[in-house]
Amino acid sequence: MELQQNHFEIFGLPVSYEVDRQALAARYRELQQEFHPDRFAAKSDREQRLSMQYAAQINEANNTLKDPVARAAYLLQLAGVEISPEQTTADGEFLMQQMILRERLEEVRDAADPEAELGELGDETSALFREQQRVFADALTANALDEAKSALLKLQFLGKLQRQIETLEEDLLD
Amino acid sequence: MALLQISEPGQTPEPHQRKRAVGIDLGTTNSLVATVRSGSAEALAAEDGSVILPSAVRYSGAGVEVGLAARAAAGDDPYNTLISIKRLMGRGLADIKSFGEQLPYRFAEDRGGMPSIETAAGAVNPVQVSAEILRVLAKRGADSLGGALDGAVITVPAYFDEAQRQATKDAAQLAGLKVLRLLNEPTAAAVAYGLDKSEGGGDVADKTVAVYDLGGGTFDISILSLSRGVFEVLSTGGDSALGGDDFDRVIGEWMAAEAGLGNDLDAATQRKLLNAACAAKEALAQETVVPVAYGNWAGELSREKLAELLDPLISKTLRACKRALRDADLSAEDIAEVVLVGGSTRTLRVRERVEEFFAREPHADIDPDQVVAIGAALQADVLVGNKSREDLLLLDVIPLSLGIETMGGLTEKLIHRNTTIPVAKAQEFTTFKDGQTAMAIHVVQGERELVSDCRSLARFELRGIPPMVAGAAHIRVTFQVDADGLLSVTAMEKSSGVAAEITVKPSYGLEDSDITRMLQESYTHAEEDIAARALREAQVEAERTLEAMLVALTEDGAELLSEEELGALERAMEALRLAHNGGTAEEIHKRIESLNELSEPYAARRMDKSIKRAMQGHSLDEFDKP
Repeated sequence: MELQQNHFEIFGLPVSYEVDRQALAARYRELQQEFHPDRFAAKSDREQRLSMQYAAQINEANNTLKDPVARAAYLLQLAGVEISPEQTTADGEFLMQQMILRERLEEVRDAADPEAELGELGDETSALFREQQRVFADALTANALDEAKSALLKLQFLGKLQRQIETLEEDLLD
Repeated sequence: MALLQISEPGQTPEPHQRKRAVGIDLGTTNSLVATVRSGSAEALAAEDGSVILPSAVRYSGAGVEVGLAARAAAGDDPYNTLISIKRLMGRGLADIKSFGEQLPYRFAEDRGGMPSIETAAGAVNPVQVSAEILRVLAKRGADSLGGALDGAVITVPAYFDEAQRQATKDAAQLAGLKVLRLLNEPTAAAVAYGLDKSEGGGDVADKTVAVYDLGGGTFDISILSLSRGVFEVLSTGGDSALGGDDFDRVIGEWMAAEAGLGNDLDAATQRKLLNAACAAKEALAQETVVPVAYGNWAGELSREKLAELLDPLISKTLRACKRALRDADLSAEDIAEVVLVGGSTRTLRVRERVEEFFAREPHADIDPDQVVAIGAALQADVLVGNKSREDLLLLDVIPLSLGIETMGGLTEKLIHRNTTIPVAKAQEFTTFKDGQTAMAIHVVQGERELVSDCRSLARFELRGIPPMVAGAAHIRVTFQVDADGLLSVTAMEKSSGVAAEITVKPSYGLEDSDITRMLQESYTHAEEDIAARALREAQVEAERTLEAMLVALTEDGAELLSEEELGALERAMEALRLAHNGGTAEEIHKRIESLNELSEPYAARRMDKSIKRAMQGHSLDEFDKP
């Protein structure tokens, strides 16, 4: 048999966008206590190999549920909606807003106080991210899958922007 | 009532016998071996009482010398005395040239960019040199525990890439050790400190700790979350080519400049300068100013001057700390405890700046030279099956992202850095031309976008793809990183279900045939011959397999197997027992293989049972909620 439960079932969590992070972390540790290859180091080769597969799957499930964008994509996948990597949002207003944010990011280095400007940009991006998370959660609950998909595409955009902000922050620190 | 069975001392009957397991810290400057005895871990001493084995190997016409005597000869015999060999593990000749001035050896190209070093005893490669050090430690462990070792945990810097890890495992294999796990040094240190336990020994609530590990040649920072015996690494970072050796180098350069020596120094002068620099650095832990001299020049080095020389290097380590904190989504204030590891953390300036950065006094009560080996010994004891700390579990991460080369020399990341291992990621590829039956995949490790800025790990060639029109074949390639941080790759054409054949060409590593050859070479002057060793290894493997099976059958054989299946397994076990008692290595391996194959469904059922047990206490309707 395979670990055929979906990621939420593995951790005994309800299938929902809201995830109890503490319950997830605790259950994750419990499962790894049981299945991690370290528990099988003195067992047969076959059991060692199986345990590695299970541990990898538990890790994969944990990573997906921990990450707000990956979790959203996974929930849509469970609902039968696949997102290809090339797909992008068609919301013109949103794209315009993104362009402005990106331009500001590019100009951060020339700002009078780059760190403060970057901090502000980070806060704004986080607020937009949280807003789309709410849109996604509501749409999913209402089974409005198109709307949820549109929110996910925006989350992907914003998540990428957040990472770029972090990278620049790191460069500025050095 | 049954009579009590009492066996002769030291001859407790199987399978309750304590296993002989050690933890080995294979360091850049010093190496150690430790084990758990009567519940506590201790570093093992050589006959002369010394615990530390300098990681120095000297090759001469008379043979191989390892340790203190070899290190003492480094100044006079620099070409044949190999120190800091760890810096060369898993590296290519091109990497080595970039820090060539620091290592005054005579390098030659071995094969495909691998370095070898010319010595009085012929050419040797870094894996062979490391194996010499491991052999000495393994022997010390076996002598001290009274018999051949059942397994070892060997530590590596958390920031070691895949090639460096593989090279370490190869060296252990060459030294005849069974590697239970490659363990990251900072994680080992956290285990040694038992930071998951409160002062009274009870469990503590979740907390986050930082381990700052500055050794002779490597720097690691790890951020861990601790909770009831589980050590979960959240992020790790560092520099696998930065350490106390670099401190010595900048001090040595300063001395050379002050003494008016030129830039073009010979190997012996360099070595002597470095030794003087190292001595001055160590003396400054006690004194505020020390005299330094070279040749006719004499001067002095103060703590202030030392701080000025070292600060740029220490700042580099703190930048890595910042990045690791960021990767863990934490800031310095979230860190409850800081642990110092590695001999270079004895330098006062390092302590000052780490304390300033984390705004708390770091732990340094366990000898920073021994702490890693002690942590490794604790894990080895658990892994080998001695149940000293049943709840201990280490969840580690991959330190650098793994990616593949795509069009235009760009990398596509498949597994991001700081992902918990083991991990598996599948990627689909398709063919570019009609009838294409083979393709090449180049795997790299690193964070940069350009392939040329990352480290090349290996090239995989897939063959045996069924010929189809371009784009019709869908090859699913699975990249798996095991709990040691080592990569394996499998491939399957999806529509036909044909498993593609994979040939691996490690960029800076040994192929299996190399290891076999080196093993044979190492026996040309050894008393035991390779066949005898192969037989003994096969017998040990057979014992391990039989014991694992016996334990499993006692637990749930009757519950999970039909009588027929049980009978078949027992017959296969008996066949293996017979082979073990009088067969050749080959026969034993054949029997082990057939027993393993026969027990495959049983292993799966056992795992299945574990899953069910793990799911208990979570009612089914929990899963049914939308």
